[in-house]
Amino acid sequence: MLVEQKKIDEAVATIIGFGGTGILNCVQCGACSAVCPGVKAGFPLLCRNLIRSLLNGQLEEIIEDSSSWGCQACNRCTEVCPQGVRPQEVVFAFRRYQANELAFSTSAVTSQMNLYETGHAVFTDPKELRRQVGLPEVPPTSAFNKQAQEEIQALIDNGPMGELGLF
Amino acid sequence: MAKVGVYVCHCGSNIAGVIDVSAVRDYAETLPDVVIARKDLFMCSDSGQEMVKQDVRDGLVDRVVVAACTPRTHEPIFRAAIEKAGLNKYLFEMANIRDQASWVHGHDHEGATEKAKLVVASAVGKARHLEPLEDKFVDVTDAALVIGGGIGGISAALELANMGHKTFLVEKTPSIGGVMAQLDKTFPTNDCSACILTPMMVDAYNHPNIETLTYSEVDDVSGYIGNFSVKIRRKQAYVDWDKCTGCGDCAAKCPAKTPDEFNAGLSDRRAAFIMFPQAVPKKAVIDMDACINCGGREIGSEPKLNKKTGAPILAPCEKACPADAINRSLPLDPGGRIKEVEVGSIVVATGYQVMDKGWFKEMAPDSPNVITALQLERIISATGPTEGKLLRPSDNQKPKTITFVSCMGSRDANFHTYCSRFCCMYMIKQARLLKEKYPELVINMHFIDVRTAGKDYDEYYTGARRMGINFFKGKVGGLEMLPEDKLRVLAYDMESAESIEYASDLVVLATAVELPEDAQGLAQKLGLQFCGSNFFRELHPKLGPVETSTEGLFLAGCCQGPKDIPDTVSQAKGAAAAAAVPLAQGRVKIEPIISEIIPENCSGCGICVPLCPYDAIAMSEWAGTARAAIEMSACKGCGVCTSACPSGAIVLHGYEEDQIFAQIAALTSGGRNHAG
Repeated sequence: MLVEQKKIDEAVATIIGFGGTGILNCVQCGACSAVCPGVKAGFPLLCRNLIRSLLNGQLEEIIEDSSSWGCQACNRCTEVCPQGVRPQEVVFAFRRYQANELAFSTSAVTSQMNLYETGHAVFTDPKELRRQVGLPEVPPTSAFNKQAQEEIQALIDNGPMGELGLF
Repeated sequence: MAKVGVYVCHCGSNIAGVIDVSAVRDYAETLPDVVIARKDLFMCSDSGQEMVKQDVRDGLVDRVVVAACTPRTHEPIFRAAIEKAGLNKYLFEMANIRDQASWVHGHDHEGATEKAKLVVASAVGKARHLEPLEDKFVDVTDAALVIGGGIGGISAALELANMGHKTFLVEKTPSIGGVMAQLDKTFPTNDCSACILTPMMVDAYNHPNIETLTYSEVDDVSGYIGNFSVKIRRKQAYVDWDKCTGCGDCAAKCPAKTPDEFNAGLSDRRAAFIMFPQAVPKKAVIDMDACINCGGREIGSEPKLNKKTGAPILAPCEKACPADAINRSLPLDPGGRIKEVEVGSIVVATGYQVMDKGWFKEMAPDSPNVITALQLERIISATGPTEGKLLRPSDNQKPKTITFVSCMGSRDANFHTYCSRFCCMYMIKQARLLKEKYPELVINMHFIDVRTAGKDYDEYYTGARRMGINFFKGKVGGLEMLPEDKLRVLAYDMESAESIEYASDLVVLATAVELPEDAQGLAQKLGLQFCGSNFFRELHPKLGPVETSTEGLFLAGCCQGPKDIPDTVSQAKGAAAAAAVPLAQGRVKIEPIISEIIPENCSGCGICVPLCPYDAIAMSEWAGTARAAIEMSACKGCGVCTSACPSGAIVLHGYEEDQIFAQIAALTSGGRNHAG
């Protein structure tokens, strides 16, 4: 690995831009990783190690790594961090970067499409079950409401997700 | 008419890297009364000073302006130079174009140059109006006060006493010795702490020039360098120390228990107690907060009489004392008594405390097997609660695995951002001592970084690795309580980027070093300032490490910032040397930059008297009427009285009205020459 200041600056600016504003406070003490359930589960690039990679300017090199999606958002890292890094925000900023580069798995794309079309990321047809228990077949959700779907699509189209060009 | 010489300094690139020094020099030459303007790479160098001196000797200039750095460090140098050349040293003015221009406007070379010109013009404006002044002198009391009887205070006191100065050594606890007396061994040589400290304690106590006042606190300080008046409160021990022989019989009979501070709360002591076996002086104290007044023997009460024999019923402590040193019938004042001393200089060596584990909620502070490093020190010390055997507090069993956690509250934005500096070394020391004694003990040490800067320190650390002590780089994130009083350690290994989790029998926290709470009150009494880390502030972090902003007041040891024993002793000896200077000189110089009241103009209104922050002004009689008068040795030249006097009767020499107006005129001239 070379130390390339341009790449380091770019990685830091990207993460700060996506909300990981404390990244430069990190002194690599490792307290976050000591309590991280994701690290314990074996995800290699979480907390301390993710920040290290980013501070080495390895933004593109790690873009396909799926560790960030292993973060459970428990925020224990934020509690124990002695420097106010808010590591979870860095992980989420990296996720946003990945999402913006469409660097996430295809299964995630499917659920995004579901969300866009029905208002539900995960959706199964409820009609049969509802009939069995004596409820009206059509539930009062966006999945069966054309106007609600249009409103959801308007929100997504005009938000950061719309900019991904998925839909 | 004044003949002003202006000398502009490059200060290497400090100034010239930003400011066009030639342009400033050219500009200075055009200012009124400036007869000569020169520049030099380093004005404070020998050749730079010689340049100024030669111009003075040649009669070219009779006022000198040096445009360079801060007067705080360099004004004395140039004053001395012109004095040597035969000019009154107060006919000198400094223009600080480094701090006020090049440093703060580094991004704007042109603007900084323009500002430097204004700063020089201002200094020249003042210099044209400068008048010669004479230094004044006051006699000093040849005695010193050392506050704090730890290794720092003892070292400073011995140094001062050996130089022949009477020294008062004040310590708030019943014995001198400080934290060092609580330690088992000391790094990097593993000397037994008591073996090297105790003789020094005895030396200090028996020194003919040292008066040791333990169980005493400084109540009030007034005065100034050379002549401080100090009120020392000798706390009420409820034992007549003139009679007490330190036999400890009172403690043996006393039934009232309270946590033993000397053992860091790991064991109990009695209300009547001797601080520790090697205490100096070895005197008993009755702690009234813990005393239960056996037999209704409140202090100052008449004893009840035995119904059968008619004999008085005494408390066990007074009955036990073979020296008759405890008499609870006496109406002893709980406030103790005040001893007043006069000293010429003061060394503050009040030491530190370590944070309590209770602050760290994620570190299972409720477990008895989570202890601070100072508590471990007591456990492994032969004078401690387990007589030196490693036994964990919950069940007095020997642990198989012990964990050390560094940086608890240090290097932590939630507590203290600074490094506590000696924890890495004492943790390694404790680990080494334990590994030597118990080779089978598993020792896991977790650090953010191992910081072992110091003579023979890194060798001590690498030696510990060779002894089979396990080092992990990575801060411990948390502890969890497990059955059998074990602790689950949630840690991380930076090098392999893997989390670590294991059960430990005993966990030692290296909690942060901080200033004790009562230091705040002392600071107010002494006029000490605090630094950003909330320790006492030294005069200059590099060049004035033992001095303070109050002349005659010096700092030593951890009250100025965390430091280990070698550094504390070094600083204490430095502080003692600095504190001895006024005592050795016999008189101190009072700079004439102080205020003077012109009695003819004073109306005697007295407004200035309460305004003076140094209590230097009092009303006195002048030509049969009351007039304000300033005690010259107490005046610091702050100028508050001068600006407040409704009659304009107070002159602040060195900052006189015409001088200040000339400065303002120059600064507001917009760079145009101002002949006024």
